Amino acid sequence: MTKQVPNPNEPRWLTNLKTAMPLNISYVPIGLACGILLHAAGFNTILTGLVSLLVFSGGAQFLIASMLVINSPLLSIVIMLFFLELRYALLGSSISKYLQGQSNLFTFLFALSLNDETYAVNYLKLSTDKKFTPSDALQIEHYALFVWTLSTIIGSLIGSAISINLTVVHFALTALFIYMVVMQIKSLLKVLVMLLTIGLSIIFLMIMKSTLGLVVATLLASFVGFMVESYIRAHYKRYRKNIFLHSFKNPAGTPEEDDEEFEEENK
Amino acid sequence: MEWNSTQHFWLVILCFFVALIPRFVPLSFFRTRKIPKWFNEWMSYVPIALFTSLVVKDLIITSSYSLSVDGKAAELIAALLVFIISYWTRSMALSVILGLGSVIVLSLII
Repeated sequence: MTKQVPNPNEPRWLTNLKTAMPLNISYVPIGLACGILLHAAGFNTILTGLVSLLVFSGGAQFLIASMLVINSPLLSIVIMLFFLELRYALLGSSISKYLQGQSNLFTFLFALSLNDETYAVNYLKLSTDKKFTPSDALQIEHYALFVWTLSTIIGSLIGSAISINLTVVHFALTALFIYMVVMQIKSLLKVLVMLLTIGLSIIFLMIMKSTLGLVVATLLASFVGFMVESYIRAHYKRYRKNIFLHSFKNPAGTPEEDDEEFEEENK
Repeated sequence: MEWNSTQHFWLVILCFFVALIPRFVPLSFFRTRKIPKWFNEWMSYVPIALFTSLVVKDLIITSSYSLSVDGKAAELIAALLVFIISYWTRSMALSVILGLGSVIVLSLII
């Protein structure tokens, strides 16, 4: 924690807090909405704090709330959650190269508070800032975890104090999911997978009459995307320029997740 | 069925474990090994499919699993707005706050 920073007088925890601030601000409205919904689903305030600390995933906690409201059985909620959280396998795999040489305990602590948003912030910092250590990344995760837990607890208290139109509050999650979809739209093939998923989700949800339809639709659609990409890679030499795989330009100019490019810029 | 706090507690504990396994196992496993390419390629299509299916369920599937857009006009229009806002701003906070704001306003108008 006594590494050199641009301003030598600025302690490391403050630098990290500044890095974590945009994420912390985003977490307040979503955390409040999540707390309100968990309260409506019957969770008391202590359990709301506990689930935020232990699960620490907006999507998962909204899912718990919405499945409790429709009286889903426990096993169905847990299975759905597992499939929802399977995406973290991808995040964990991709950030693992920066954790080489760390202890098992550190890896465990890091995994505990890894989620979509902390991954996004930390991956960018780890790949661009050479002074940014895994310990700093863990500290950023902990700031986010703290703000998230506090927001959901306050949300739970708000939910118990006043009555709120839940359909409207629930849209906070839908909006978050739409945001996640948009962040994934990186090529024409991804758009086609999205359209295929819409069709498959409708069909399997109606046939299976359960949220497992979502899992089937997700696995099928992602597998089709994977197969099409493999086919294009195998049959076209210049597959990066292929119309289906060519990366879209990013309208907001957010940096691509490309390590080499970053290291060039930061030298 | 009305759940009590003890049942909620066990639900949280079970959810903790199913949320931890996908986070910890690959992170720990690939810390020292190379990730299979096919796995990475397949996984790269999981998020978009998963989140799309969740949006579909939220917007056009009823709690009895039939297809319906009755009374969903405000949410559908707001969803389109969120889509556009997310695409242009790439900001999670803006997407969620403006999305919530527009669904509140739209549900009052419609």
